[in-house]
Amino acid sequence: MLRYTRSLLLMLALAALTLLTPLSAQNTPAPKIPRTADGKPDFTGTYQWPTYLPGAARGRSNATIFDSKNFAPLKPGGEPFFEPRTGDPRHDEPRDFCMPAGFPASVLSGNAMQLFQNRNYLVWVHEFQRNTRIIPLDGRPHREGLEPMYDGDPVGKWEGDTLVIDTTNFKRWALDDHHYTNGQEFRMHSDALHTIERLRWKNATAVSYTITIDDPKIFTKPWSQEFEIIAKPEWEKDGLYEYVCQENNRCPGGKCGSN
Amino acid sequence: MKRLLLIAAITGVLGGARLLAHHSFAAEFDDKQPIKLTGVLKKVEWTNPHIWYYVEVKNPDGTTTMWALSGGAPGQLMRRGIRKDQLVVGSVVNVDGFRAKDGSHNGFGRSVTYQDGRNVFTASAADQQSK
Repeated sequence: MLRYTRSLLLMLALAALTLLTPLSAQNTPAPKIPRTADGKPDFTGTYQWPTYLPGAARGRSNATIFDSKNFAPLKPGGEPFFEPRTGDPRHDEPRDFCMPAGFPASVLSGNAMQLFQNRNYLVWVHEFQRNTRIIPLDGRPHREGLEPMYDGDPVGKWEGDTLVIDTTNFKRWALDDHHYTNGQEFRMHSDALHTIERLRWKNATAVSYTITIDDPKIFTKPWSQEFEIIAKPEWEKDGLYEYVCQENNRCPGGKCGSN
Repeated sequence: MKRLLLIAAITGVLGGARLLAHHSFAAEFDDKQPIKLTGVLKKVEWTNPHIWYYVEVKNPDGTTTMWALSGGAPGQLMRRGIRKDQLVVGSVVNVDGFRAKDGSHNGFGRSVTYQDGRNVFTASAADQQSK
């Protein structure tokens, strides 16, 4: 009798599951994506830079920039989002003096990237400036008592198959490379910037990459933009190229001098 | 086909190639001072943050001037299939670009053309828009 009841319950459960599952999900097999031995999505690999989704506004440099259509309203009386150039090259072109891009501009710089993942860390290396972000995945909280940083303080966690990277403790710096498109102004983030990145394999070769900008000193609410990151396994043979900005930075501030 | 690709690249068609990311064009160069040079390619520095190549130009009075010309970042060029050996030292080349803001014999060399018409792009024309 007990065995009969168990079988009946199992059949009822299966029937309910079938009815509750949308038809599209029944017909569409889950995409086969890289996974680690413990079943987590595996982002280890070499990638192209994040690229725009169709319809997104583009900048003039090879760097990817945020589309102003996505911006939340500016906070009345808040910290300025747009900062004019001053004519001082150290202010207007800090990267021309080998200063860092800072996150999120670094990830959007239009250069190759290599990611290394294990159970406890994701290490995200950018070819541009050989910038490296070390992102703990072991559930630890943000560090406390540190000075603000160009790349902030990231921690990661899993939400199903999505890796969520939460970053705080930024130094005030350029949000993106908008100033290469509009030579009159920067788009700045404040030191209250909080970013949330969401990485999810869309299929075996493309990662959906969404950055949420939560900057309560500037915007009335958080806003987001989705990009796409394409895996480039063919680039692993060469690996990342070296990038030493100081090596041959011949004309900082436009002062080249004689040859 | 290779030649077609190079020409496509020089016009910025290939992969939307816009190769200045380290700094904007306007940080170092003056778009009001276009330059066209013909001379001998003497040296190539395939180094970061941007490649530099040197062209010796003969002046009307018989003297020579060495021009230093900047291109894209090595990594970005190589990701697009452009390698150092495409700039052949000893060759006579025509360079099209813009002079440095400080008026020195430095510039942004957006294209290099050999005497047989082959183009080698060191940075795309679109770069001049990155101000």
